Amino acid sequence: MSDTSSVSGWDSHRDDTSDSSVFTSMTMSFLQELPSYRSLIRRRTTILGRDKTGGTLLKPASSENRVSSEAGRSEKEHLGSQSIRKYALNISEKRRLRFGPQRFFREIQEAQVKYLSEWDQWKQYSTKSWKRFIEEAKELASHLELWKNDIRSIEGKFGTGIQSYFSFLRFLVILNLVIFIIIFLFILLPIILTKYKITDSTFLIVPSNEVDMRCKVYPMNSTGLIYFYTYMIDLLSGTGFLEWTSLFYGHYTVDGVKFKNFTYDLPLAYLLSTVAYLALSLLWIVKRSVEGFKQNLVRSEEQYQSYCNKIFAGWDFCITDESTAKLKHSSILYELKTDLVEERIRQKVAQRTPEETLRIYSLRMLLNAIVITVLAACFYAIYEATIFSQEHMKKEINKMVFGENLLILYLPSIVITLANFITPIIFSKIIRYEDYSPAFEIRLTLLRCVFMRLATICALVFTLGSKITFCDNEDCRVCGYNHKLYPCWENQFGQEMYKLTIFDLIINLAVTLFVEFPRKLLVTHCSSWKLIRYWGQQEFGIPDNVLGIVYAQTICWIGSFFSPLLPAIATVKFIIIFYVKEISLMYTCRPSTRPFRASNSNFFFLLVLLIGLTLAFIPLGISMTHIPSSKACGPFTNYNISWDVVPKTVSTFPSALQTLIHSITSEAFAVPFFIVIWQLRLSDLPRVTQPSHHVLFHCPGWSTQTGSDSTQRAVGYGKSRQALSHSETYSCSGRDEKPTKLILNTILVPSKLTELPY
Amino acid sequence: MGQCVRHPMSWEELEEYQALTFLTRNEILCIHDTFCKLCPRGKYYKEATLTMDQISSLPALRVNPFRDRICRVFSHDDVFSFEDVLGMASVFSAQACPSLKIEYAFRIYADINENGFIDEDDLKCIIQRLLNTTNVGDELLNNLTKHILGESDMDNDHMLSFSEFEHAMSKSPDFMNSFRINCWDL
Repeated sequence: MSDTSSVSGWDSHRDDTSDSSVFTSMTMSFLQELPSYRSLIRRRTTILGRDKTGGTLLKPASSENRVSSEAGRSEKEHLGSQSIRKYALNISEKRRLRFGPQRFFREIQEAQVKYLSEWDQWKQYSTKSWKRFIEEAKELASHLELWKNDIRSIEGKFGTGIQSYFSFLRFLVILNLVIFIIIFLFILLPIILTKYKITDSTFLIVPSNEVDMRCKVYPMNSTGLIYFYTYMIDLLSGTGFLEWTSLFYGHYTVDGVKFKNFTYDLPLAYLLSTVAYLALSLLWIVKRSVEGFKQNLVRSEEQYQSYCNKIFAGWDFCITDESTAKLKHSSILYELKTDLVEERIRQKVAQRTPEETLRIYSLRMLLNAIVITVLAACFYAIYEATIFSQEHMKKEINKMVFGENLLILYLPSIVITLANFITPIIFSKIIRYEDYSPAFEIRLTLLRCVFMRLATICALVFTLGSKITFCDNEDCRVCGYNHKLYPCWENQFGQEMYKLTIFDLIINLAVTLFVEFPRKLLVTHCSSWKLIRYWGQQEFGIPDNVLGIVYAQTICWIGSFFSPLLPAIATVKFIIIFYVKEISLMYTCRPSTRPFRASNSNFFFLLVLLIGLTLAFIPLGISMTHIPSSKACGPFTNYNISWDVVPKTVSTFPSALQTLIHSITSEAFAVPFFIVIWQLRLSDLPRVTQPSHHVLFHCPGWSTQTGSDSTQRAVGYGKSRQALSHSETYSCSGRDEKPTKLILNTILVPSKLTELPY
Repeated sequence: MGQCVRHPMSWEELEEYQALTFLTRNEILCIHDTFCKLCPRGKYYKEATLTMDQISSLPALRVNPFRDRICRVFSHDDVFSFEDVLGMASVFSAQACPSLKIEYAFRIYADINENGFIDEDDLKCIIQRLLNTTNVGDELLNNLTKHILGESDMDNDHMLSFSEFEHAMSKSPDFMNSFRINCWDL
């Protein structure tokens, strides 16, 4: 299939108008004449030359010189630069291409050395050694990658869909660890250093006279003899002895730590570290989602439904396991058959009569109303449960029976978990009647479940907040919050979040131990019963599991302000969940027959996580800026609201700095600034986000021959809007006819593909 | 199961391979290890060759329905030298650029008549391999072929040329993720 005509044509247009330097043009012309190079070029153009002929079509006839000069320049680059890797040649040919004939190369090298000064030589040497250092550091870092072997083996056995879940879990472990390190360094460390007399520092407590004494009353429970079950209840619910430990906000009732040379402002550190780890989480998630973005941007349903995608990119080349391969074959068959069915449905939909359409839409509205009713019912149940739990917690706990205590304390968690368990079942039943296409069904159910999970946390937080700020008599208006019931309301918040976390972990463990393993045992040993066979083995449902860990992470973010050790607890929890899920996957689950696309799964996971983070900002923001901080405990006893510590600190700066800060934070500056930053961020991905208008031209009158003639048939691309208007100036190579525009595709193409030699 | 002369790779060789392929240092060393375990006793690894059967039975390719095509595309004269294996691993590595992967994917899929195009027979063969059976219903086969050509055949010649294939793969969101082999261990 050698294309000699195009090669000679291409070569003859080469002239050395490109570079003025004699040196490079000499090398170029010499290299072109070498027979080994000519044969390489011929071989290369048969591979890349398909593109070259396409390119010939598009370049307007007048600028052929420009083409050759561009090719010449790129030639020179390719000989030396890293893009040698992109050539579809084997290694020995690439080596020859890179170094050229040995004799001549040595001459070039010697000539070059003469021109290189000592500085350049040293620079070369240092860049080489720096590269080596970077390589070794990278190798070391890859050894430290957490759980690399586990995730590799999961990928080989279960495919990339499930592997992406475990990678996501690993990311959350590392994120929580980093958050805890921030909290430890800035909040815990000074206190530990002072408490255990490691450094010579003291706590600084500033009594304030402005605050009413009634707000400062914080009754401590009697620390007499504690029964064991009270101890257990305290451990599980964060009350009692745990309330005074560094687990909760109330422990940090200091206004500063006085070291030898300076005073460490703990309230400021507390607030700023909260802002810091929230910002870090946001940036990290955005960075990760952008990396996934660069691969594919078009996410319309049709792209995934495309048959080309399913056939050519259908097989997961990572699979190494025999049984997984069998499963993959059957899952591909299932998917293709479903597509046929879906297409028949689509045809049916297109042929719908108006009455049917009206009926369908009214049915959908009714079902959506039912969904909203279900959600409202759940929120109301959570509201009631929280109020009940809060009221009864105030009674004498040790007078109640053990089980009743725990039930009342955990009532909100129990209601939330039940709601999260029942509503997906209801949603999946409802959506069958709504008559959507299967792909859309999955998306909509997922969306509803995400909303449900994250909104339940909001409902709980809102209920607590309303109880805390609710005042029905004059008394509590003094402090701004209900100081009779909640002398230290941040502790209450922290306790609720702590209870949710612990309960979530317990439920996960219990479901694995008491539902999944028995199910597997039943299926393997009692498979003669029809019911058991119908129930079948557990499937690893990726969306449900992902929602579970996003839910846990959202709780962690909300609770970290009120309970600084919560990220550490969350880290340990996620590590436990990783191993539990891995064991459960290996021993009890079968991979699902319905394929979950890995390509959009990363983006989906990070999107849901981002929604969770945004939802976490709301209660934190409100509690920091609107609800007055407790005066009986915590670092902010001397401030009205927690945020006040920042303006107070700014007012201690020198006045020039103060005016600068005021001007930066004023609206007149902030809004244009953020707009500029946003533009810069978007311009980081310019070639990715700018649409590349691809126009396909077709040269009429050419026969559909196979074999040697075929490379001359023209299918080419125009890369810009100009291509559309200038189609008259293009001509089909070798003929005089004008090309006709066949198809206009406005697609967003990753930048690397636009570098192709077209 | 012979072992060829255990010659550790020098830094320069590693660097050269890193410049010429998309593989990381660790991946190159892993492939070197595997290659040395498989090649015949006493031979220097740079001169030894492996048969297509040996490569086909590597864990990475053992269950792949396209393994014979992969071996055909990447071998020279029906054998694999060390650099051939490196070249193959480079195309399948996670760091490889899309254009390289698409180039080789086209070569792997353009099968039967080797005419440089993916025609209907090639498509039928690909689908049969994907479903691991030659007993695929005619209706399903024809339907799929019709859809694929409808989506990507721009010049209506009932075949996919390289440009058309490339255009289709650039829109495909799963291609980069699925056309990837990470681990070449034995």
